[in-house]
Parts: sequence; structure tokens; C-alpha cells
Amino acid sequence: MFDRLRPAALCLFLAALAAEAQPAPAATKTSGAVRSVMDDTGRTVHVPAQVRRIVSLAPSLTETLFALGVGDRVVGVSDYCNYPAAARSRPRVGAPLNPSLESIAALQPDLVVAAKSANRRETVDELARFGLATYATDAHSVEQVLTSIEHLADALGIAEAGHQLTGALRARLAHLQQQLAGRTPRRVLLVVWHEPLISIGRNTFIADALRYAGASHVIETEQDWPRLSLEEVVRVQPEYLLFAGDHAAAMASLLASLPQRPGWRKLAAVQQHRTLLLDESINRPSPRLLDAIETIARQLHPEAFQQKPAPPTPAAPGFAALRSCAPAGSRTRAGSADWPVSAYAEVNRSRRAER
Amino acid sequence: MKPLTARRVWLICGGMLAALLVSVLIALKLGAVPIPATDLALSLARALVGAEIPADHQLIIFEMRLPRILLAILVGASLAVAGAGFQALLRNPLADPYVLGVSSGAALGAIVSLVLLPRVALASPVAAFLGAVLATTTVYFLGRRGGQLDSHTLLLAGIITASFLSAVIMFLMTTLPSSHLRGMAFWLMGDLSVAPPVSLSVLFMLVAAGAAAIYTTAADLNLLLAGELEALHLGVEVNRVKLVVYLAASLLTGVAVSVSGAVGYVGLIVPHLLRLVFGHDYRLLIPTAAIGGAIALVLADALARTIVAPTELPVGAMTALAGAPMFIYLLRRRMH
Amino acid sequence: MGIPQTNSGLDSGSTRVHAAADEARLFVEQASYAYGAGRREDPPFALAPVSFQVRPRELLAIVGPNASGKSTLLRLLAGTLVPLSGRVRLDGHEVSRLPARIRAQRIALVAQESALLFPLRVWEYVLQGRRPYGRWPGFETPDDWAIAAEALAQVSADHLRDRWMGELSGGEKQRVVLARALAQQPLLLLLDEPTLHLDLGAQVSLLRRLRRLARTNRYAVVVVTHELNLAGAFADQVVLLQQGKCLRVGTPAEVFERELLEQVFGAPLEIEVTPAGRPRVHLRAEP
Repeated sequence: MFDRLRPAALCLFLAALAAEAQPAPAATKTSGAVRSVMDDTGRTVHVPAQVRRIVSLAPSLTETLFALGVGDRVVGVSDYCNYPAAARSRPRVGAPLNPSLESIAALQPDLVVAAKSANRRETVDELARFGLATYATDAHSVEQVLTSIEHLADALGIAEAGHQLTGALRARLAHLQQQLAGRTPRRVLLVVWHEPLISIGRNTFIADALRYAGASHVIETEQDWPRLSLEEVVRVQPEYLLFAGDHAAAMASLLASLPQRPGWRKLAAVQQHRTLLLDESINRPSPRLLDAIETIARQLHPEAFQQKPAPPTPAAPGFAALRSCAPAGSRTRAGSADWPVSAYAEVNRSRRAER
Repeated sequence: MKPLTARRVWLICGGMLAALLVSVLIALKLGAVPIPATDLALSLARALVGAEIPADHQLIIFEMRLPRILLAILVGASLAVAGAGFQALLRNPLADPYVLGVSSGAALGAIVSLVLLPRVALASPVAAFLGAVLATTTVYFLGRRGGQLDSHTLLLAGIITASFLSAVIMFLMTTLPSSHLRGMAFWLMGDLSVAPPVSLSVLFMLVAAGAAAIYTTAADLNLLLAGELEALHLGVEVNRVKLVVYLAASLLTGVAVSVSGAVGYVGLIVPHLLRLVFGHDYRLLIPTAAIGGAIALVLADALARTIVAPTELPVGAMTALAGAPMFIYLLRRRMH
Repeated sequence: MGIPQTNSGLDSGSTRVHAAADEARLFVEQASYAYGAGRREDPPFALAPVSFQVRPRELLAIVGPNASGKSTLLRLLAGTLVPLSGRVRLDGHEVSRLPARIRAQRIALVAQESALLFPLRVWEYVLQGRRPYGRWPGFETPDDWAIAAEALAQVSADHLRDRWMGELSGGEKQRVVLARALAQQPLLLLLDEPTLHLDLGAQVSLLRRLRRLARTNRYAVVVVTHELNLAGAFADQVVLLQQGKCLRVGTPAEVFERELLEQVFGAPLEIEVTPAGRPRVHLRAEP
């Protein structure tokens, strides 16, 4: 008799807990005023008027937030947020694709920012379900990267800083276009991964960035990360091979081994050592994308830049700009400075580059 | 000579439910955000008497962890019971809930909905369930022989359907724009982090219905496994039993896969482990598999949330890590 | 007691139906079968109309060369095939129309066993014979355990009770399978080639046991066998089949006629009659 009661009692206990467990409707975290804005993916986000605590789920957004001067408001970052150095010391909430919702909630953010290129829609939906305002960005061209930064700044209530930042970035772009005026774009292939061979599609901001850098991507597909066959690449024979990667040491040894690899050694770009190793900045829809564009432009069209003195940051002379991504501190051969903490410094830097 | 009695079943299930409760408490305690055991105990006590709970604990314990734990209980129980059912239906100890293509059908449904209706959050699980139903129906008609379900034909039909659907899925995943499908990688591994589109009570009723339906055939399954013809001569309505088990196990699998993706190894290993401990009698195996599957998934999910915190592993990664060595162990035991 | 109704019947498991002592229990009249054109797996085959009766306590042997329709006839008796024409009745009820559960309470079939998919103890196996009497969820009662134990005792196998089925020898397994059939407490016991893998001593022992059980438990027993001499020695009646036709029904002495058997089996034979009146078939010596 008693043993029939025991499982029934346990069921009742679990049922009682379950009754507690129905998720509450979305509650506003702050008591202050709330604005409705639309993010890059078309979702309506109820952003508090005062955004003091931000959690960033994408490395590019962390960089952007610091560049906008609100780095001190960033209270949580993803595991891969490694730039600027100050971001590395912020509390972590997990990998961009699968962060810990608990950790995010425990930080009590006013706003969570996510990027369509780095995060999952499910994460964003779940955060919204728990009442955490989540703003998602999306960009498929360099111009969209800039307007996305402006919209984000607007949502955060710092539209002025946003315009200053993007103004400076646009000025750099315009200047670069001037210097590259009339030059034939170099035909390049950007290799995201070598085995299987994965490249980029034409709807990515990376492809657009390459155009600004005076390059044309030899492969134009609708897919964002197409898998290519090596024969196709050999057939089109790009002038330059660009390797984008986060792991400098592995990539360097890969580059060194290319002339011995079957298939790869048939590429003129490999035989003539016309290969560039890029750091992660080409992958990030953040202000640092401009650095990558300038770096690439200088390497592909060195003669366009010979009349002017090399600006102090961040381009490196010569080929194969090797940037160490070691966490101990970002150092490059040209000794580029870390991210300026304020937009003002960024504006100054671009002015220096013009002289 | 110790035949199985109802009393023994209740006793064993009672003990296992106690173990489940302990697992639930452990899983409530574990997580990326550390919560001291005393705080947890206080919050639980307050919840039971209906008193106020501090807001941050309310959110994390009761709105984040507990629903996920309850979902793990339902999914784990479904998969384990479905696995036990399919192992009897197909007369094959290697059968798991996915061998007949139910999960591939659900995955295809989920992908199609992600592409066609990317903005609608609820579309994915519903489409997954529809995909599961389609796969089940297809395999049913392919798996018949002489108008009735035949174990060998069914197994072949299921494997072929699953392979075909997997090929279609692979094709879609490599040709469609990747941003739609980043979530599919997690779905294919099995992921409990997304809340289901229907309430837990509805899910509970579906799972209970499926498990109860299979349990009505439990005694007959014992005879079926000792020989189909002999079972027929002992008065078992073999065709009816097979159909009930097929439909109920497919329902359980479809529900589980629609809300959590294809969590592996639970449906395969849990019934075998319980057979090792409690024997082959399905009258005991079905209820213990349900509870055992729940315990396994609750603990696996707790580990998935904490082992590389704050990153959350998909729960299928944990079940695979634990399940594969266990499978090898079980395989070696059978050799003797 | 009367004839039981098909819907209620022997559910409690402890009552049994007693027919009048000399009334035929199994009544087969002009039963025939043909595997239809729609079922392509089986070759078209026919069992021509056959008639015979078996009384309680009687043992009937069905003999004949290969592919003579013995197994088909047995399946007609078991109720798993519906006769194309004619009737197969057990205590007045058409066996193919009985619900499966009731049929299993009245007819027990001992046939070649499928391989067991998982290890099973002897007592568990025998207890399965009580399944037709169980109500959902089908936990066996102490009555069931007692009946199973008695069934094992009746085949002299109770010492095997805790052994694993896979460990048994051929003869032991045969006895356990028979015990399961006995646990069903049937009215009719059917055996399909039970002597196939048994040595001579085991064959004789089995048939002796079957006769004894038929007498004690008042079964009607039907045995399909290749062994003419076992049939001759132990059967009360013999049905001789050839290519789907029933050639003769009668006592062994009536059926075992030299010219008939030579024509059916195509071998030179000699019939000897034992002092007990039973025929024994020998191969005639080659000149």
C-alpha cells in the first residue's frame, strides 16, 4: 500500500514544481522609459532609455562598442571577444553560438547585442522570451556595416558618437578610393579554410570589403561560404591568394607548405608567393574592417601608396602581414596601437593619416 | 522461481523515481551561474509553500533551469521508451528511435521551415513534427509485407528512408545560405536550450499517451520476442501489437525530436542498461526505461551546461560522449 | 457445464470444459485448403477435403511423405488457416473463428521453435503458456505459478526450472516446450514433427509421455510425424496423406497396408504385426 503512495507523492512534488516553472511573460528589466527601435533583422526591440549594462555576444560588436566609447558599459562578452585588450577582462558568457543564458541573465543587462553573422536566431529568441532586450545586427556590405554601427549607436542613445565614428571611417574609405583611382582591381581568392576549400560569396561584407581594397574576388556565388573545388581555382588562376584566419602560427606553416601541396602548387599565386595572411579583422563587421581593407590595398597596389609617408597605424610594409593574436597582447610588426578608447582619438588618427 | 509481480514493479519504480528526484535537485544546483545549495533549498522550500522568492533566483532556477529539466525528463523518457519499443518491434537490439527515419523526417521538416519561414519561431518544431509524421507514414507503407508490418522489411524500409532523407538534408545544408541553418548543427546533435512551442503539460500528455499505449502491449512483447509464431499461438494479436508499438513509438520519437532535435544514444543505451539490471521483462522495462531515460537526460543536460561553462554544449554531445563507451561495454558483454 | 460461450470462456484459468466421454472433441469434416493466387510467396497448393475425428484421450498421427500437406492440415486444426471448404470444430466451435485468446486457451501447438532473442529461464518460458488466461497488465497469479510448476513436473523437467533455455539439450528443450503447451491447459494438443531432432530413445520417451498425458489430462492429441513406426506403435488413429490428398483414415493396422504404403513412399516394404496388434514397417531386404 505504502509503495503505491511513494511514486504518487513524487509525481505530485514534481507537478508542484512544474506549476512554478511556467515561464513568466516578458518583463521589462528597468523601470525607466523604454523606446521601441527596429534592429537590422527587422525585429522590434524595446530598448531602455538608459542603457548602462550591455552584454555583447559577438566579437565584432564588442569592438564596435569600445570604438563608440561605451566600452565601460560592456559588462559581459562572448568567449571569442579578444579585442580590444580591455574586453578580455570582462566576464564571459560562453561561445557566440551557444552562450549560457543564465550567465547573461545573471549580469542583468539593459541590452544584449548580437550579430546575425555570429549568433543563432534561437539564442536571440530565447533571450527575448525571458524579457532581455536583444538587438541584432546584420551587414552584407561595407556600407551596411557603417549604417549598422550608426543604428546601433542610435539605439544606445549615442547617435552623435556613432556619426563621428562612421564619418571618420567613411573619410578613410573615400581617401582610399582616391588613392586607388584608375587602378585595375587585382583578381584574388579569399580562402576561409583550405581543406575543404571554403571561400566567400558575393553577398558577404567581406567580398564588398575586398572591392574597396582594390580587389575583385574571382568566385561569385550566392552562397555565403561556398565549398570550392581546387580545379576551379586552378582554372581561374587568381593573382593573389588571401588567407583569413585566427590562428597565426597554424596559418603561417600552412602557407609555407603550399608549394608542396598537390593542386595548390599549380596555382601561379602560390608559385610566385603572392599570398597574403590576414588576421581576424577581415572577418569582423566592425571599425577594424577598415584596417584590413587598407592593409590589403597596400599589399595589392603598393605603387599607389609610395608618394605618401606610411601612416603610423596599422598597415605593415611588405608582404605577409603577420599579426599575432596571442592573448598576451596584440603586437604587430608595425606596432599598431590598441583601439583608441574614444571616438575622438579615432578621428584624430584618421586626420593624421591624411597628412 | 521469482516471477514478476505488480508489487515488484511499483517498488522498483518508486526507487527510481526517488533517484530521478535526486537528479532533478542536482541539475537545479548545477549551472553556469553558481547558486549555493542552501539558497537553492530555501528557494525550493519557499516555492512549495507559495512564499516570495528573490527575483534573480526566480528567473534562473524556476524560469530557466526547471523548465529545461522538465523538458529533459519528457524527452529522455520518450526516447528510452521508444527505443525499447523499437527494439522489440524490429527484433533487433541495435534499434534506436531513429533507425526508422523519424528523426531524419523531422530534421527535413525543420530545415524546410527554417528556409521558408525563418521569422516564425514556432514553425520549426511544428514542421519537424509534420516531417516525422510523414516519415513514419512512408516507412509504414514501405515496411509492410502481405499487408502487415514485418520486422525485417520494416527495418530495411526505415534504413533506406533515413539514408535518403539524410542525403537530402546534407544537400540542403550545403547549398542553402548558411545563416539560416547555423541552428541546424545544434538540432542535429540534440539541444534542449530552446523552449518548446507548446506547454509542458501538452507535451506530458502526448508522452504519457504514447508510453501508456506501449505499456498495454508489454506482456505481449515478451512473448513476441520469444518467437512471433509462438506468440500467435499463445493468443497474442501479433499484427495489432506491432501496429500499436509502431505508432506509439513513432509518436514518442516525433514529439521528442521536434522539441529537442536528435539526441542520440538515450533510446539505444538506456533500455539495455536496464535490462542488465532488471531483466528483459517488458512489464518492468517500459516504466523503468521511462524513468531511466529521464534521469540520463537530466544529468547529461546538467553536465552539458556546466562542463565548459559558460559555453553550453548541446546535450547530444554529452550523451554521445557517455553513450559510445557504454555501448562498447554492452557489446562486449553480449559477446559472452 | 455445457458448451462454453466464445466470449466468456475459460478466463479464470481453473475451470475446464468436459465433453461427454465418447463425443468427438475434434471434428474435421471435408476441410480443405488452397494457397490463393494472390499470395505469391507460397506455391499454389491444395489440401483436398479431409475428414476425421479425434476423441478426448486419443492420439492421432498424421503421416505422409514430404509436401503431402501435413503442416497445412495442422495449421487448419490450429485455426491459423481458414478452411476453403468444410469445417474444423473443437467441441462444437469453429476453430478459425474463435478469438485468438480463447483459441489459445483450448489449442496448444508445439512446433519448431524460433531462436530466442534474449536469455530466458525455463520457468519464465513455461509461464508464458499462461498468457492466454491473463488480464492486462498480465502479471501471473500464484495459481499460474502452480500450474506452470505442475506442467514441468508432468514432463519430468522440474529440476530444470532455473536453467537457461539456451543451455538445454535437444531433448530437455523439447520437454520444456511441451510443458509450456501443457501450461495452456488446452483441450487439443497439436505437435508438428516433434521427433525431428531427437534420438530414438527420446522419441519413444516423448510419445509415451504424450499418450500418458492424453490419458491423464483428457487431451485430444494430434501429432505430425515422419516416423511411421512411432505412429504405428503409439497412435490410436492415423491419417495418411499424399500430395494434399487424404488416402486413408483409421487405426494403424487399417492404414498400414503394404501396397498402399509402398505406393505412397516408393520403397519396398514389409509390414509385421506385433503381438499387441500394432503394425511395424520394415524395409524389405534388397535381393
